[in-house]
Amino acid sequence: MTREDFRRELGDAVDSISGSPDPALPERVRAALVHAPEQRGPVWIGALAAAVIAVIIVGVLLVGNPLNRGPLVPGLVVHPTPTICFPTCPGPLPTPTPAPSVFPFVCESGPTTLTNQAAQPVEQIDAVRTGKRPGADRITIEFKGTTAGTTVGIIPQANAKFVTDGSGATVSLTGRYGLLIRITGADNHTAFSGSTDLKTPNFPEIREAREVGDFEGVVQWGVGLTLPACYQATIISNPTRLVIDIRWPPTD
Amino acid sequence: MVGVVVEQRPQMIARAASGDAHAFAALIEPLLNPAYRLAAVMLADRSAAEDCVQEASIKAWRKLGQLRGDASSLRSWFLSIVANECRMVRRQRWWAVAKVAEVLPLPGGRDHFSETSSDLKTALLRLSPDERLPLVLYFYLDLPLDEVARTLGLSPAAAKSRIYRTARKLRSDLTLEEVF
Repeated sequence: MTREDFRRELGDAVDSISGSPDPALPERVRAALVHAPEQRGPVWIGALAAAVIAVIIVGVLLVGNPLNRGPLVPGLVVHPTPTICFPTCPGPLPTPTPAPSVFPFVCESGPTTLTNQAAQPVEQIDAVRTGKRPGADRITIEFKGTTAGTTVGIIPQANAKFVTDGSGATVSLTGRYGLLIRITGADNHTAFSGSTDLKTPNFPEIREAREVGDFEGVVQWGVGLTLPACYQATIISNPTRLVIDIRWPPTD
Repeated sequence: MVGVVVEQRPQMIARAASGDAHAFAALIEPLLNPAYRLAAVMLADRSAAEDCVQEASIKAWRKLGQLRGDASSLRSWFLSIVANECRMVRRQRWWAVAKVAEVLPLPGGRDHFSETSSDLKTALLRLSPDERLPLVLYFYLDLPLDEVARTLGLSPAAAKSRIYRTARKLRSDLTLEEVF
C-alpha cells in the first residue's frame, strides 16, 4: 500500500464519518460571535457576585468567628456599638469567671474527683490548651457549654505511660511522670477540632498532653510531667472549663 | 480532501482583536470546514461537531489575544481549540462514548482489517479521539508536519512518531517511508 492509497482510504473514511457540514454553519458561527459579548455578561456578573460573596464571608469570619475570642491586635480595645434588637434585646452577656490565680497553691498529690453540680446537660469539649502561669503550668479543657453531672477524675501516675481507651494500646508521653485526666459524660470529637497531642518541651512541668481516650462518653487526656504531679484543679464557668495547674519544680 | 489556504491577514486579525466580530468570523470562515471534519471524527457525532465548532469559535475569539504568529499559526491555533473543545464535550457527555461504542461492533473478533474503506472507518472509530486527531490533521487536512505538531502541542519529532504509530494501528504493514 502506498501513502496515497492510505490517504485516499482514510479520506473516504473521514468523509463517511463526518459527511458535509451544514451550509448554514458559517452563518451560525457568525451569529454566535456577534452575540458573544452578550454571553460574556453572566460570566462577569457571576465573577463579581462570587467576589462579593467571598468578601462577605471573610468579613463574617473576621467579625463573628467564635474561635476568635481575643482581640485581633494586642492592646486593641473594641468599643461596643449600639444594637437594635427585635422585639427586645436580651440581657447582658454573662461575665466570664476569671481563671483562678495559682497562689496560694493548695497542692494535691493523690487522686481527685470533681463533679459539676449544675443540673444541665453534658456538653462537648471544644478546646484543650496548655499554658504557663507564674509558678505553674496549666492545662485547660474547655467545654462548648455548661456541664452537667460531668465527673472529672484526675489520677497522678509514676510514669508517663497511658493505656488508650478503646484500642488498649499503650502510649508513652514525653516526661517521667504522668497525670491522667478522665472526664466521664463528655466527648472530645463533636465540637473539638484542635490538636490531640500538645507538645510543650520548654515548659518546666508539662512536657506533653495527649488525648488517650474518647470512647463511649469517656474522655481521657494523659499529661507527661517532669516531676510527680503537685496540682490543683477547678471547674470555672463562662465558658465552662476545667483548669488544672501543675506546680513548677522547686528551683533550689 | 480539504486543502485550506489561509492568507495572512494582519489587518483583519487586528480588527477582530479590537472587538469586530464580523472580522473574526471572516477570518475563521475558511477554517470552519476542516474544523468541522476534525470535530466530527473526534466526536463521531455530526450534530455535536457543529455545536463544538461554534463553541470553539467563540472561545477562540475570546482568546484571540493569545494568538502569536501569522495565518498558519491561526489555523493550528484554532484547530487546537476545536480539539480541546471536543475533549471537553466528550468529558461532559458520557453518552457520546456509549454512542461511539454502538457504532464499533467488532466483526467476529477479527484482529486485522480488510482493505475496504468501510473497515478502515471502523478501525478509525476504534481509535481514541486523541489518536484520530493526528491522522485527520496530517492525512486528511494535509497540514505540514510542523503545523500538526503545533496543533497537538508536541515537537515535530513527537508528532511524526505519533502519526506513524497511529497509522500502523490502522495498517500494520505500513512502513515509515509510506507514511512520510
